Amino acid sequence: MSENFNIDDISNLASIELSEDEKAKLQKDLQIILEHVDALKNIDVKDQKIDIHPLSKVLELRKDESKESLKHEDAMMNSPETKDGHFVVPPSIE
Amino acid sequence: MKPSELFEQVYETASYTESVLHAHLELFYDEGLKLSKESDKRYTKNESLGLLDGIPIAIKDNINIYGYKTTCSSKMLSNYVSPYDATVVTSLKKAGTIFTGKTNLDEFAMGSSTENSAYGPTKNPWNPDFVPGGSSGGSAAVVSAGSAVASLGSDTGGSIRQPASFCGVVGFKPTYGTVSRYGLIAFASSLDQIGPITNTVDDTRIIFNEIQGYDSKDATSITPEYTKLENKKVKVGILKELMQEGVSNESQNEVNKVVNLLKEKGHDVTEISLPLTEMALSVYYLIAPAECSANLSRFDGVRYGIREDASTSYEMMNKTRSVGFGEEVKKRILLGTYALSAGYFDEYYGRALKVRSKIITDFKTAFDKVDFILSPTTPTPAFGFGEKTKNPLEMYLSDLCTIPANLAGLPAISIPTGLSENNLPLSVQIMGKPCSDYSLIDFAESIEEMVEFNFSPNLLKENNES
Repeated sequence: MSENFNIDDISNLASIELSEDEKAKLQKDLQIILEHVDALKNIDVKDQKIDIHPLSKVLELRKDESKESLKHEDAMMNSPETKDGHFVVPPSIE
Repeated sequence: MKPSELFEQVYETASYTESVLHAHLELFYDEGLKLSKESDKRYTKNESLGLLDGIPIAIKDNINIYGYKTTCSSKMLSNYVSPYDATVVTSLKKAGTIFTGKTNLDEFAMGSSTENSAYGPTKNPWNPDFVPGGSSGGSAAVVSAGSAVASLGSDTGGSIRQPASFCGVVGFKPTYGTVSRYGLIAFASSLDQIGPITNTVDDTRIIFNEIQGYDSKDATSITPEYTKLENKKVKVGILKELMQEGVSNESQNEVNKVVNLLKEKGHDVTEISLPLTEMALSVYYLIAPAECSANLSRFDGVRYGIREDASTSYEMMNKTRSVGFGEEVKKRILLGTYALSAGYFDEYYGRALKVRSKIITDFKTAFDKVDFILSPTTPTPAFGFGEKTKNPLEMYLSDLCTIPANLAGLPAISIPTGLSENNLPLSVQIMGKPCSDYSLIDFAESIEEMVEFNFSPNLLKENNES
């Protein structure tokens, strides 16, 4: 399965720019890992159900109630750039 | 001893050990001293908040404490200041705990040696040529070295128990969902669990008691109904798959030693086999990276963390993530992205989830026959720096014995039992049924009394002699 691994495609999907040295090292390491996990192919998983929570708990959403939360300025205090209570980013279109 | 005197003593130890170990990333001396003096007053007035009032505890640097940095040992979050407290931190603050500081880890908790920290590795107090384990290497080293009375770590595949074992202290991963993960920077959400690292099993009980409980801020949190043991004589299973090739004789001998002690006390010990545990590592290295690739997508240079300058948003994100993440984190994000990508989802992630469910079922069946499962915590004692960095699988194999408990959400505890030929600690791990946390702790305490592990690291001896 792992022969189709293309480091350029995957780094693009993951939004991580890689140097040529990094690509070579990571490609090699990832091949080793993918060959190891190939062992799972030999396990019969036909009709096997999936547990989303290890203890089979049904995940619940909180009630739709208004409660005190983080202050706006606290939530934004770690942003590299803000203006008038908004995040500032470079243009999305060149 | 007054809390402020205890705090000064711990801080004095830290000022000596930190120059060798690099276990704390930040020490909170002024704040700690101030709070410990407030604790002094409470004791004087007989108004102590409980057993943890005035006790100095270190916190792994992937858990938020309001007003302090939480870097996850990553360049990405080098400037991140926590805008809120994690639920476990709120609980410990209410109990009067004093925080010594934040401890080093493998970047974003991904690793088994702290060699992946962007701020340099932590060293093992028993021998600084060896790793302290990871990812909670700093949290284990500070307890072992005496620069904190206890600490909190997080455990995704063994990150509390493996470093606790390498540093000769107790490490406990509670049942998944019993301790809130709110305020823990997420790595792999279906596996992550916060837990204590301590010198004794009793200390573990006290801290777990304080931090456990339902929290509506964590969607995976449960209302635990803890089970009790009916009999004092228990049934213990020895997991065959963790007592064979791939696990050193030294590690296996520790289990055999404990088995003999248990038999002497009249406990029933039998060998059990769970063949799919041999697949646990493969399952883990698909599920954990897949969840990490989703969780770490939030680090995009917009809301928090560093930002690299670029002319477009897309370029800015790519450059920021390239500069901010270290090699191991990039590797796992890429692996997870691949496992989740169109055309490969069913083959990799979907299949891993199904095998995980089979492993969960196997453990359920095993626990119909036994109360606890005993194994080594780690395949070997601590290894040297650089020894396992060339091949990723070699490093990953050091979590061979600890990963199954994370996959099945089980509580598991590591307790030190002896020393290796080269004077490094060795431990056993005990796994219990879900929500058997307190009976597991009780049983671990009985083993602790039987083995009488009374050794301390060379670093402390040198400090006392100087």
